Amino acid sequence: MSQTAQIRQAARELLQGKAVECVIGYERGTDGVNARPFFAYEAAEADRLIFDQTCTHDLAKYLLNRKGKSTAIVVKPCDSRAINLLLNESQIQRDKLHIIGVVCPGVVERRWGTPGAKQLNACQVCQQHTPVVYDTLVGQPVSEPAVADPYPDVAGMEAKPADERRTFWEEQFSRCLRCYACRQACPGCYCPECFAERLDPLWVGIRIAPGENEVWNTMRAFHLAGRCIGCYQCEQVCPVNIRLSLLNRKLEKDVLGMFHFQAGMDAESPPPFSTYQKDEKLGIGE
Amino acid sequence: MRQFISKQNLISWLRQQMEARQLVAPTQVDDLILFRRIDRVDDVILQFQNTATSPKEWLFPKTETLFHVERKDGKAELIPAEIDGETVIFGLRPCDARGITMLDLPYLADPADTLYRQHRQKTVLVGLSCLTACPECFCESMGSGPEDTAALDIMFTEVRDGYLVQAITEKGRSLMPQALLSPAETVKPPAPETAPVPSEGITAKMRQAFDGPYWGRVADRCIHCNVCAYVCPTCYCFDVRDYTNKGSVERVRSWESCQSPGFTKIAGGHDPRANKGARMRQRFSHKLLYFPEQFGPLHCVGCGRCVRACPVNIDIREIMQDVQRMGAPK
Repeated sequence: MSQTAQIRQAARELLQGKAVECVIGYERGTDGVNARPFFAYEAAEADRLIFDQTCTHDLAKYLLNRKGKSTAIVVKPCDSRAINLLLNESQIQRDKLHIIGVVCPGVVERRWGTPGAKQLNACQVCQQHTPVVYDTLVGQPVSEPAVADPYPDVAGMEAKPADERRTFWEEQFSRCLRCYACRQACPGCYCPECFAERLDPLWVGIRIAPGENEVWNTMRAFHLAGRCIGCYQCEQVCPVNIRLSLLNRKLEKDVLGMFHFQAGMDAESPPPFSTYQKDEKLGIGE
Repeated sequence: MRQFISKQNLISWLRQQMEARQLVAPTQVDDLILFRRIDRVDDVILQFQNTATSPKEWLFPKTETLFHVERKDGKAELIPAEIDGETVIFGLRPCDARGITMLDLPYLADPADTLYRQHRQKTVLVGLSCLTACPECFCESMGSGPEDTAALDIMFTEVRDGYLVQAITEKGRSLMPQALLSPAETVKPPAPETAPVPSEGITAKMRQAFDGPYWGRVADRCIHCNVCAYVCPTCYCFDVRDYTNKGSVERVRSWESCQSPGFTKIAGGHDPRANKGARMRQRFSHKLLYFPEQFGPLHCVGCGRCVRACPVNIDIREIMQDVQRMGAPK
């Protein structure tokens, strides 16, 4: 049975048996090519669900809109890490959730109207093809490939001289529209009032201009240190193609190096920035 | 009468414009095509579908200072911002130029927005008609079309070895030296067709759909970013903030959108449009109901940018179809 058929069957049973009120998954979008998020509330709607290589969205973010309501959700392995992140940070309740985990061969870059030909950067270095948490598994678990360097693009950036990096980011941020699509798509960004919209006192100016854009993007990146799961949603949704994953995954890489921690691998390990150990030095004052 | 300009002469004309005033045109920025200020004529792109963001930012900038207040001899003096210099925007697609007529309606209505009026007076709009249509284009259903000349001063249409030239306004004619032109011998190529969208009668249907559960369902998948509003050639909302520095004050406005969570928050913290469905309904009601009721035309030109750019495929064409299909409320 195809993954789509298995997801439909699971969704139908969950809705029919009233185990959940809603199943969040994917359906075909209006370009006839790409998938889009879909919320099924009736068993009859289960047949609209699909799964294929265009299912790029991380649906876990939507769980924050359904706090306290019983929900089933279709997750890829990377999205399952987002669920662990949200569980770990006490944002969602496990007992209200039914996780339909999908064994994922990787998804493609979303290109409007044409089937994406290129596998998403994240998938090219993926080491997690089976979800880390699930109730129903769709597909057969596969043995994980050994990826020598999961951050080749970040390492390439690190190797460049500082002034070159500066010029690169200045140009990238100068395009930013501050539409906040990166934040809105990010499973780690859920503050009820974002610092960028805090008006009294004003934390970041409202100007859509290089200085403010730089503050916005770098502060958001720091807020995700040790929390970014490397899902690339930020980069996928950016309307002006800013290479946000390079910035956010740089911090992911640093946290992995310093604390041997990867966000979302389980729901229990305390995140490095919520813990303190007396012997932590991090080279400060040495 | 239509005239012809060779490609070489068009490039010299662009160079003249660039030297005389600020030239803004489509150019390649990484893998995007964007309207940018041009410093080298070679950077102008002549063949493209459309730019990733609309050209509205050259008339309604993303961020703009409205005025300064300075303290002088114990008194406060208000210094309004002025727009210096002229701009030529080259390469506007007809839908985007039609979008400028939409910005005109609220911003030039009495009392006019002084900065917008200055931008408008000091900008020459030069169009490039469309020879192909994207699948997501629906300009013809929204009162525009691939050869629409609304708001344009000059329109170019690509033909073999050059362009047909149509100087539409006095401003356009004064900028187009006859020496660069010759009588047109080529016939105008046929305009492409765009896929129809049911826009007829949509305003009345939107009124009927106001209270339905539909908006909540669509809003389920909306992530409430501002992409649709910021790529849109007609959205015109902004936020205002004062910046103070040692006794001087600068008042700044920046783009803002009805989809952002705090947009309608009022003093005391109440938000009358707090839920997702209400915000979603606001976007489409403004475009298809309130704006036409207030100003006449539908507030969409069918450029298709929001359709392409929306991260979760909220598609205004589909919304119009759905609303048209809805029955009268019980």
